Amino acid sequence: MFEIVEWIVFIIGLILVTIGAICDLAGALGLVRFPNFFVRLHAATVGTIGGAVIPLFGVALIAAVSSQIGPFRWAVAGGAMITAVLIMIIAPAGSHALAYAAHKAKIVPVEPKVCDLLEEHEKKKMEAKKK
Amino acid sequence: MLDIYLPIIFAIFLIAFTLYIIRIVKGPSVVDMALAVDCLAFDLAVFIGLLTLYFRTPFLIIGAIALALWAYILDIYIAKYFVRKEVGE
Repeated sequence: MFEIVEWIVFIIGLILVTIGAICDLAGALGLVRFPNFFVRLHAATVGTIGGAVIPLFGVALIAAVSSQIGPFRWAVAGGAMITAVLIMIIAPAGSHALAYAAHKAKIVPVEPKVCDLLEEHEKKKMEAKKK
Repeated sequence: MLDIYLPIIFAIFLIAFTLYIIRIVKGPSVVDMALAVDCLAFDLAVFIGLLTLYFRTPFLIIGAIALALWAYILDIYIAKYFVRKEVGE
């Protein structure tokens, strides 16, 4: 009975690792192919959340049921889980900080633009300062 | 089963690493390079996790946590420098 549950968890972990590898390849391809920094942010987020968080959950599940690692398997599972949760928190925060800095310092042009509320807000602030 | 399946995953990850390194070398602006280094560091953390399963050594996973935090610190410092033109304080 318990062996069936272990096999199911093992196969779920393998599926998660496979999804992560495919997402990682897609993110890397997008990071190379996309034309602009603000468009590349989308591919980078696919590469971090899809390509780093999901396979780490898969590693945690595989390590929790694989008996070859020995008595330290729960340490591996916990470390992988902690790393996955950390990346899930810090990857969007880091890319948001980079995007804000690039917009604020005007390093890259905001090219596919429909409406830029942050720029208008900063213009309004500058005019209010002049008065 | 892991011995057969994990090298295929390693191959996909290595192709992704190569593409990230192309972007790091080519990147027209500094924020592009920082973004690529960020992705590369997070993926190296995953790679360490997979190596832990492949070599069956529990001590490799310790490096992954520090690697993830290092990439975040790099992002924050570069953003801070571009916004305020100084680092720290």
